[in-house]
Amino acid sequence: MSFNSFSFILIFLPLVVILWYTLSAMKKWKIADYMLIASSIILYGLFSFKFVIILLLSAFITYEISRLIITSRDKKILLVFGIITNIGLLGYFKYTNFFLENISIVTGRKIDSLAIVLPVGISFYIFSHIAFLVDTYREIVDNYSDPGEKVSAKSVTFTEYLLYITYFPKIIQGPIALPGEMISQFRDKEKRILKSENIAKGMQLFVIGLSKKVLLGDNLAKIADYGFLYTYYMDTITGILVLVAYSFQLYFDFSGYCDMAEGVSYMLGITLPQNFNSPYKALSVRNLWQRWHMTLTRFFVRYVYIPLGGSRKGKLRTALNVLIIFILSGFWHGAGWTYLCWGLIMGIMVVFDDLGIMATKTDIKKSYLLREKPLIVIPEFLGKILTYIMFLISLVFFRSKNMTYAIQYFKQLCFFTWPGFLYKTASVLSISENYLIRQAVNLVNKSLETPVYIASFAILMIVSAFVMTRDNARELVFGEKIGKGYTFLLVILFVWSFISLSQVSTFIYFNF
Amino acid sequence: MENTKTKDITFIKKFLISVAVLLLLIAGLVIIFDPFYHYHKPLPFLKAVLNDKEYQCVGTLRHFDYDAVLVGSSVVENNDNDWYNEAYNCNTIKAVRSYGATADLCYLLDEAFSSGNKIDHVFYNIDPSSLSASSETTYKSTGCPMYLYDHNPFNDVMYLFNKGVIFEKIPYLIVNSLFTDYDESLSYNWAKWKTFNQANALGLYNRTLEVSEMMDEKAYEEELLANIDLLTRQVENHPDTQFHFFFPAYSMLWWDGIYRTGERDAYIYNEKQMVKALLSYDNAEVFCFQNEPMVITNLENYLDSIHFSPEINKLMLDQMVRGEYRLTTENYEEELDKMKDFTEKIVNELIKPYEEQDLLTYEQPPGEE
Repeated sequence: MSFNSFSFILIFLPLVVILWYTLSAMKKWKIADYMLIASSIILYGLFSFKFVIILLLSAFITYEISRLIITSRDKKILLVFGIITNIGLLGYFKYTNFFLENISIVTGRKIDSLAIVLPVGISFYIFSHIAFLVDTYREIVDNYSDPGEKVSAKSVTFTEYLLYITYFPKIIQGPIALPGEMISQFRDKEKRILKSENIAKGMQLFVIGLSKKVLLGDNLAKIADYGFLYTYYMDTITGILVLVAYSFQLYFDFSGYCDMAEGVSYMLGITLPQNFNSPYKALSVRNLWQRWHMTLTRFFVRYVYIPLGGSRKGKLRTALNVLIIFILSGFWHGAGWTYLCWGLIMGIMVVFDDLGIMATKTDIKKSYLLREKPLIVIPEFLGKILTYIMFLISLVFFRSKNMTYAIQYFKQLCFFTWPGFLYKTASVLSISENYLIRQAVNLVNKSLETPVYIASFAILMIVSAFVMTRDNARELVFGEKIGKGYTFLLVILFVWSFISLSQVSTFIYFNF
Repeated sequence: MENTKTKDITFIKKFLISVAVLLLLIAGLVIIFDPFYHYHKPLPFLKAVLNDKEYQCVGTLRHFDYDAVLVGSSVVENNDNDWYNEAYNCNTIKAVRSYGATADLCYLLDEAFSSGNKIDHVFYNIDPSSLSASSETTYKSTGCPMYLYDHNPFNDVMYLFNKGVIFEKIPYLIVNSLFTDYDESLSYNWAKWKTFNQANALGLYNRTLEVSEMMDEKAYEEELLANIDLLTRQVENHPDTQFHFFFPAYSMLWWDGIYRTGERDAYIYNEKQMVKALLSYDNAEVFCFQNEPMVITNLENYLDSIHFSPEINKLMLDQMVRGEYRLTTENYEEELDKMKDFTEKIVNELIKPYEEQDLLTYEQPPGEE
């Protein structure tokens, strides 16, 4: 069950919120915990019951290993074993076919793919398992205090761990919250008192996220899907616009989801870590990764970059460590060479930012790899534009279905052509919102339909750009920057999104 | 603090009340106009505008008034209901499902029989391929809007709060009812947007490269028996209804196709078994318009290898009314065998000129798509 569904909005969410606060008001803390775990498992299990088994089994094994880490002498071996078990699980489900495919190419022997279905959210909860194992180890061995200020790993019960892992606002697409920051909140009884602020702000975040996803993201997806499917037919201008549309889609899809997750969790009194902070306002690619999927970046920094030595082992090693975490990040996003390339490009760009060749005035680090101060200082707007363009280019790899398509996409971008594929691409915006206009212009002249599609595309892009460059959902909801028509606007956005959850499909007429 | 709390409560109240009012208005609008006829028949001042069979067929069968049902796949859609009304003095409604699988059509018949209407006639188009199709309904697996098919009031939210219904279907219904000369008896009709001619028929026929060996005629026996059971149960359970079954006039290209895939004998065997089973009931008659050379060899009548022009629909009805091409227990085997013979003529003689003029499109071998 996804957040943008009738059953979630009308039944699941209200029911869970009511039960959570009712049970908490009755001081039935344990039952409230069980209810939340059960609800999360139901929500997750609606994707597939098999996925639930994998989730619970991995949680049980990880928790038991963490107990052994606490009590055993061979803590490091157990930690490594726990990490390998989790990575192995992720590797089996996510990367087996990728490796088989490549072995097949290298050896020239045909190897059939295995029928493996990737469990929903596995990439997220495996990282949560690893975070818990490492934090447990660090707390026991190094008196690690960062997430352990309030929560001692020893004291975490299996119920609390299960609650942390299965917590439905984050189980499907993150954020990758750390054990300490979540379990401490679950333990805080103050958080379980119903507050109007939590409900109001949670609702606002949810509505903003829902409308970003449904009204903007899903329509932009139509353009992006079509463009990347017909890469070979695309002309240069269409290629650029499709790429921009895809970057917008990615933004609204992910930030919309994060806002919804945050809103839902806030309604329950639990604050999720921020995962998205207007990344297209970033002044450098390094800065972009401090704003985009922030909890993933945080995970890689804490659990990979720092253990690898971070910036403590010389300049070359620092650069290498950065490259390693971005290649891993690429591979985490998807099992394919395109994702690896994307990760590598991102890594190279971050290393470039760290060299000290160029920076914006307001984004200057204390020191750079090559120099103390940056060689060129550029204005903020230029930093934003360059960062966005760099990210945009990398998205060709991120979205193309394979390397051949990605290379072809670059060819279409580099060698100017204009056969007018834009008209065909824009015509995928045959949406309910422009239906009456299309019918009206059809009565006058059928050829006027194309300008309607182009105008729809233009409006979609302009509105998207406008929304992205204003205050983000957090800033709006928590920043008291609310105007008079705010409630009215949210009502309209919610109703519009709500009726967009169900649509009438066109069935192929002649599939006799 | 208190001020903030009041503001938050005011927001929650305002938001929830406004959303509830708006959603009620939207639901009310959909229930009143009901373009898929899920709740009622058309309002007195509106026409029954039918052009989305997957969305409207079930609703119309449940709520409309009729005493005859024209059942079949897309090939029956170009019929004018008035032709049947005049010929049989009845009030006809269409029950159409793409592919015309027996289970799907029987589901629609069940809906019709349980609607409260007294059904005097069922005109049932049997597509040969439907006899070898699965005996399970395909509505769910093909993504049909099940909220319109089941009787669960809760999933009606998919209909009541549906952007397509509000922004497209309701305006379409109003405009066609009040501002155009929409003809209600041409429900689901698509012929006016299509051209029927030889070029189209040949262009849309994808001929297989190889000629496969003819299959065993009992290759689809299991599916056939299940489909016979489904269809004969309809006839048996409704003895007061006259069932008029007919095999439509597919083009010679279709026959060429099943000859090359090796399915011809199995299809003809299936037809024989189905006809035999149906003819054992007094309230069933069967017609076969397949072996109609003047029609099926003239590709100007076709849009593709299967779909023919409305004139052919009318011709078949007229022949049915006159009792022509009727199969009886005495002649059905002989008549269907004639089709087998005629197929030989098609593949060995009638299709040759098209081959020689290079007018046939061949399917791509694997790997060259």
